[in-house]
Amino acid sequence: MQEMPHNDSEEKAGRRHFLKSAIGTTVLLAGTGTVLSTFSALRKGRYPVAGHRPGLGILRPPGALVEAEFMAACIRCTRCAEACDMNCIQYFGPEAGSLQGTPYIDPVDKPCDMCLACGEACPTGALEVLTKKEDIHMGTAVVDERLCVSINGTGICGACFTACPLRGKAITQTLHNAPEVHSEYCTGCGLCESFCIVDDREGLRAIQVHTSLKEVLS
Amino acid sequence: MKIEIHKLQILRRTVQITVILMMLLVPAIARYANSVAADDIDSQMKSWEGSFQGNTLAGIDTVFRALPNGEMTRPGLDTPERDHQGVINYSRAFHGGPWSAELFGLSMTDPLGAAESIVARKHVAKVVLISLIIPILLTALFGRIFCSWICPMGLLLEITDKFRKVLKFLEIKTYNVRFTRGTKFALLVVGLISSAILSVPILGYVYPPAIISRELHDLIFTLFDRAEAKLLGFTFVGLTWMSLILLGIILFEVVISRRWWCRYVCPGGALYILLGIKRPVRIKLLESKCTHCVDCVVACPMGLNPMNNQMGAECDNCGACISSCHDDALKYSVGLGTATQTEEESDTMAATR
Repeated sequence: MQEMPHNDSEEKAGRRHFLKSAIGTTVLLAGTGTVLSTFSALRKGRYPVAGHRPGLGILRPPGALVEAEFMAACIRCTRCAEACDMNCIQYFGPEAGSLQGTPYIDPVDKPCDMCLACGEACPTGALEVLTKKEDIHMGTAVVDERLCVSINGTGICGACFTACPLRGKAITQTLHNAPEVHSEYCTGCGLCESFCIVDDREGLRAIQVHTSLKEVLS
Repeated sequence: MKIEIHKLQILRRTVQITVILMMLLVPAIARYANSVAADDIDSQMKSWEGSFQGNTLAGIDTVFRALPNGEMTRPGLDTPERDHQGVINYSRAFHGGPWSAELFGLSMTDPLGAAESIVARKHVAKVVLISLIIPILLTALFGRIFCSWICPMGLLLEITDKFRKVLKFLEIKTYNVRFTRGTKFALLVVGLISSAILSVPILGYVYPPAIISRELHDLIFTLFDRAEAKLLGFTFVGLTWMSLILLGIILFEVVISRRWWCRYVCPGGALYILLGIKRPVRIKLLESKCTHCVDCVVACPMGLNPMNNQMGAECDNCGACISSCHDDALKYSVGLGTATQTEEESDTMAATR
């Protein structure tokens, strides 16, 4: 026994509704798929920096206020990174918590060129405007006597002395080209660290810029 | 009159699109300046030829060299060379995005960012005040035009607004939940107080123009970083999960509540409203012409009612109601406070604008 056919127009309306919701669902699924596939390819920000330079402090661009005040004044606008002549300024990604978007310099990757453009670019005064390279005190280079080849007697180097933009003032040499840092002149630009020939198993250089000393010295 | 308003709308859309394009272009210009300063530009343009990065650099290079002082001829050489200092000076004219920008030496900062920096540091620096002059002046005159002319999120939400119509056509139910407009002021106050207590500006992490600024900077810088590591071509890997906040705002807008972020939540919009509360440029209704068709009410992206002739500070002067009006009943007017004007007066005033 065959069932009676339904009302024709009712069936048509139902079919139209089904078609429309099918199209809608397809569009929504395709959209979600595209978005998800795009975002699954994302890595965590530009720099993997959560544990950046442990124990050495964060190396802020020239003219930065003391760390706590800098964190308060900086509005994370990336203008200093865009102003930087040599693209030395990088900044923290979202996984760095409240540090996110604040600028730093990684001297091993790209040491500061001391062009001083960042201070002029800063809209909030978190980086103060400096006019002389001698006024910069981002940090202080500290020699690791255990690692330095000129000091521990495994060789004669002098790379840091040659790299230093204030050589003869910030870094002087003693026996076997052993470097001696004069913190009153050292700007903390990191050129010595980037040129240091020592690169031990933990990625440590024999001369490193410490920023934790900044507050003590200023 | 009608044509002028349409021209204004076209101009507004052009400015919005230009802002987004500039946000993509400014980081690329910064990397171009880096390449020129390091004297790598010619080798990079050659080795990256044909890729996104190479084309971008070549495009910027062509434009900057065509400008005055972009090229120089050395004695003994026939072909003009790139004037390094010249093109670097042009690159230096653009920094930042809608969150904080420097255009041709004029520093401008979003009042929200400046306010946060001031309350978090508990000290007013001179540079902050200088960079506030232009935004505050414009807002005091025209109201929250940042929202309608500059904010990249505003443009994105205007586009997704169209998507709501597609969903409606597909008979997918969308909602338009209304929240209280006081939310944004509460968020502004709570955010500023928390910034002061934590000594960290925190509203910049949820404010869409700031997020988009950072994300696009990341996107472009990562592309050039990858190019330096011989990975050419365009990808989205520079974006971080902060983009998901934007995506969330957009999805909520499409399905649940129209323009909810701008209407109810945006702390920056709240600050612009407060700054523009006494603005002289307002939208006025000529009641004699109004036929009460409610077209303007439907058109208003901020969910206001232009028909009651009391457009408060919430109005962002976008002019959507004016272009939707078929009876020429709505006009921009210049005047202080709630001073009433005759029709002729407001006609002439609108004509001069």
